Amino acid sequence: MTTLRLPHPPLLQGAPPREEILQVENLTKSFGGRTVLDGVNFTLTRGSVVAFLGANGSGKSTTLKCIMGLETLDAGSIKLNGTELSTLRGTALVRVRSSVAMIFQKIHLVPRRTALENVCAGALGRLSGPASFSPMFFPRELKEEAMAALARVGLADRAHEKAGRLSGGQAQRVAVARALCQRASVLLADEPVSALDPRAAEEVMELLAELAREENLAVAAVLHQPNLAVRHADSVVGLIDGRIEYSGDISGLDASMQARLYTPNRAAA
Amino acid sequence: MSTPAATLCVPKVPNSGWRITSIITAIAVFIVLHVFALRGTEFEPAALVTGAEGMASFLADAFPPDLDWESVLAPALKATTVTLWIGLLGTTLSIPSALLLAVFASRTTTPHKTIYQLSRAILSFFRAVPDIVFALIFVTAVGLGPFAGVLALICHNTGVMGKLWAESIEETDSGPQQALSTVGASRLQQVTHAALPMVLGQFVGLLLYRFDVNVRSSLVLGLVGAGGIGLLINQSIKSFQFDAMLTQILVVLVLVILVDQLSSFIRRKLEV
Repeated sequence: MTTLRLPHPPLLQGAPPREEILQVENLTKSFGGRTVLDGVNFTLTRGSVVAFLGANGSGKSTTLKCIMGLETLDAGSIKLNGTELSTLRGTALVRVRSSVAMIFQKIHLVPRRTALENVCAGALGRLSGPASFSPMFFPRELKEEAMAALARVGLADRAHEKAGRLSGGQAQRVAVARALCQRASVLLADEPVSALDPRAAEEVMELLAELAREENLAVAAVLHQPNLAVRHADSVVGLIDGRIEYSGDISGLDASMQARLYTPNRAAA
Repeated sequence: MSTPAATLCVPKVPNSGWRITSIITAIAVFIVLHVFALRGTEFEPAALVTGAEGMASFLADAFPPDLDWESVLAPALKATTVTLWIGLLGTTLSIPSALLLAVFASRTTTPHKTIYQLSRAILSFFRAVPDIVFALIFVTAVGLGPFAGVLALICHNTGVMGKLWAESIEETDSGPQQALSTVGASRLQQVTHAALPMVLGQFVGLLLYRFDVNVRSSLVLGLVGAGGIGLLINQSIKSFQFDAMLTQILVVLVLVILVDQLSSFIRRKLEV
């Protein structure tokens, strides 16, 4: 079984546990005059899962998108392994950011490609040249690494199955394997289980929590089910209208806090 | 007859007056346009009745078809094969140029806005110039024969297929491409690993559809000297051999049906 061990991310070697890896300070973002994020601060540490909770439009997904560069921030600082992202441009930015992987609600695999080929695609950031343009030419080492990642998410036996034929839960686990093949040390999951049935949702969240503990990854997951957060997360960032309402240990997410985070029409209340 | 448990007054549809006015206006514009079109094309069904006699004598000359193997059927089959080859090469040889332009002319895959606009313009040009005009140009360059027909189809098909492919890239879910951008994949890697595999099925479907169309187009190209069965049909008409013409048309009919069946069979298989 040793051949299926995942190679540790290079950043991990010698790293102490619970090391802070991503620091977000004063994140501010507005769309057309409407403030979506208003001075958001939080830190992600290796080995732990942070759940982002809040009603629709509270800014959870926008926070993750700003970190990934899918949205530009108006103000604030994002430090990854101590490096301020706003000071980087072009390939340097891509290289530093490649240690962060994103898991999407809509999963975003290529249905026509096999699970293994989709997982291999996680390594595209570090591949170059003509060999990187077709799965046929992917090096053997990459395919073996992808197999190990698939085994880690429990889908080694589905390696040659087309992604389009997998169930929602299996497809999301393949997407997690793609993130592992990316050798990411931070996983940002944007509503990873919203499209899944309760059992598959539980399995995917279990997997993410397991990866945080066993592979020493920092995991941030936007969730819509507080009970999933209670079961799988170590801490919570609760957002209301782009501001942090609660940030701390999962034990603080009691019934009154949950009610506060999801109160409709707060302004009117 | 049982009475309903409860009823509720249906609220008035907002802006219903405006919607009815716009529907009536649209119908009126549609009718006016057709009146202009009927006048512009001198559309006179009465002329068909008065000219029925001419048509009858034309058909009488065409029946029965001349099925002489040596002089009509064998040359017709040979020329039809050439027509098929023109259609085939015109389609497949336009794949590289159409693919390149489609990727450049799609908002989700283009490397730059200027390249996008330029590619759209090139595609529009190739699409706007009819294949028969390209054929006339190439006949003057490479002489009479099927080669001119192949070149004409490559040009026109690049425009049409490139446009169709670009549209299907734009319409497809760009999520996987976005996912690969977060992985750190280059633009070209995103295209080869996400955008193109996502649209492969549609691409092949459109390619087969264009093959079907191109085989029929290459018939017309024959009329201007670009080889194939079209050339023979033209010669038969000019020498008043309408019975030979009918045989040639029947051979073409068989070819068109076969190509149509084949392409729809493959498309059906691809959908599964």
